[in-house]
Amino acid sequence: MPRRGLLNRLLRLREASILAVGIVLVVYFRAANPYFLTDANLETLSQFIAATAIIACGEIMLLICGEIDLSAGHVFALAPFVMHFLDEAGLPMPAALVLALGGCAVVGLINGLITVRLRVPSFVTTLGTFSLLNGFTLTISHGSPVETGDEGGFADAFGAGGYSEIIWAVAIALGVHFVLRQTRWGLYTIAAGGNPEGAAEAGIRVGRIKVGNFVLTSVLGGFAGILEAFRIGSTDPLAGGTAIMFLAVAAGVIGGTPLAGGSGTVLGGLVGAAVLGVLRDGFTLQGINAFTFDMILGAAILVAMVANIHVGRLRRRV
Amino acid sequence: MTKQNKFAVGRRLAVGGAALAPALALLAGHPALAALPSHPRWKLVFVNHVTTNPFFVPTQYGIQDACAAFGCDYQWTGSATSNAAEMVNAMNAAIAAKVDAIAVSLVDPVAFDRPIERAFAAGIPVFSYNADAPKSARLAYIGQDLYKSGVMMGERIVSLIPSGVVALFIATPGQLNIQPRIDGAQDAIKQSGKPIQAEVVATGPTVDEELSRIRAWYIGHQEAKGMFAVDAGSTQGVSEVIRSMNLVAKGMHGGGFDLLPRTLTNIHDGALDFTIDQQPYLQGFYTVMEMVTWLLSGGLTGPAEINTGLKFVTRETVGPYLTTSTRYEGKTDKEAVVPRPAKV
Repeated sequence: MPRRGLLNRLLRLREASILAVGIVLVVYFRAANPYFLTDANLETLSQFIAATAIIACGEIMLLICGEIDLSAGHVFALAPFVMHFLDEAGLPMPAALVLALGGCAVVGLINGLITVRLRVPSFVTTLGTFSLLNGFTLTISHGSPVETGDEGGFADAFGAGGYSEIIWAVAIALGVHFVLRQTRWGLYTIAAGGNPEGAAEAGIRVGRIKVGNFVLTSVLGGFAGILEAFRIGSTDPLAGGTAIMFLAVAAGVIGGTPLAGGSGTVLGGLVGAAVLGVLRDGFTLQGINAFTFDMILGAAILVAMVANIHVGRLRRRV
Repeated sequence: MTKQNKFAVGRRLAVGGAALAPALALLAGHPALAALPSHPRWKLVFVNHVTTNPFFVPTQYGIQDACAAFGCDYQWTGSATSNAAEMVNAMNAAIAAKVDAIAVSLVDPVAFDRPIERAFAAGIPVFSYNADAPKSARLAYIGQDLYKSGVMMGERIVSLIPSGVVALFIATPGQLNIQPRIDGAQDAIKQSGKPIQAEVVATGPTVDEELSRIRAWYIGHQEAKGMFAVDAGSTQGVSEVIRSMNLVAKGMHGGGFDLLPRTLTNIHDGALDFTIDQQPYLQGFYTVMEMVTWLLSGGLTGPAEINTGLKFVTRETVGPYLTTSTRYEGKTDKEAVVPRPAKV
């Protein structure tokens, strides 16, 4: 019975439950508002999702190897400023972008080395760099936003074009998914989080794996910040912050990556980010009043997650 | 999050001084400092609800310039996230440090009552700036009349739009430095008696979220005739949505508050009807002036309400904002006298 087989296969997927919740939400918002599936709104919806999804890819790799990066939201604000200053100094925008991402990699390297070498828990390490980076960005920008340089086609490719951000997000998610599922790096990441002692005894250089994933998260955080700066047209020292970082971690957890480490799914994180985006976009589209917005959003997240867990149980029984 | 700034006043004045100091000196006909009796370097504390917000960059320059002119030191402190408890802590610390005067943005109607009492008991004058709780005991408020600014925006909306749906966007509903504007705008629209349906929409605390929420609201309300905002980030978002979706061609009107660079560019390009400049530089400069006159006169002068104004910036008047880069609008920290326009 091929149909039953297909259903079984779908239900066995770790991402199945959150995907089911997402589909129900899309059906609901489509029924509630005729504009939900129009091209203009799909573009807007994609912009609600993209930055969160990109940062989530990094956070999920870190969560799997038993760490977390709270500073990603402020690398998000720093990277476009570094790019702006390098561009002002005369560098072409593409070179400025690459160098800014190099700067983000250095931040990730510092996060990783302090955590691994000096044995400071990553929650504390990145809490420190979180604050430090915020202060640094405010200082170099004098606390004032600047217009993001408009380079026409280049800006369109890196966030200013309607769907460009979501294309980047999906490409990055597929890339990181491949790394996690198909490469030795991914296997070692899972081992480093699931059983660090065992992994170390088996000859896996756990420290190196963790540092690498810190670098990945910082670079993705900075890249998301640059895409958003091009999209908005303004480079703002207060962009990102805790809001985007928590959304990214939440997207990972909602998508099926436990906070405890040792397992996880990048594609689930992408769907998790999509669910959070659908909720925020859908309720805004409906014109929910300012005072009740957060209340309804919070209640919807709770209902969606309770449903998610119960569909998950059903999945395990099949 | 605190920043401490000290200025070597004499030397700065000798080499050209703070931005407004030469102007004041000219007014008085002799150097500014000589006009004042010698006094200790007073320590003034500014407690703010969003210490790192770009809006307050020119406010800090105003404080710096006035402190340089009048011989004071200042501290810029409070909360980066509009947390009243953190602000109260900062105020209590200032009282314990026996500072000479405190200015606080009263973003909560009652949270500051007791710290103000304590400060008064310790002989420290307290002024409010930018946001006010009129029932508190503070000596005077220096800033925009927020409710009235909302009423003026509402009247402008009524003059632009005969009927239909308009959005009033607000970053963080309920906050005392922006909510009164929404209330004022709604009241003015109601009073006009025109069939305008105003919807209040929350946009969130960061610019990226604000832009997405405004776009989504418009897509769900394409019959809307106007989109207006009461905070800087949402105003920038409104101007971007109108520009990128070419809504002016559909008869959309838009407006808001404050002077973020993109907002100004979009006004120039015709995407936004107006933005309202609430002159943050003056909120810092005048507050220091009031503190100093209070301290000089032993409390006999100083406490006077100052409305820092309500300046509509439109396509006709936006030019100088785009062509100059000054500390009065916060775009640079460079001290300079801006050449005045040919016509006032």
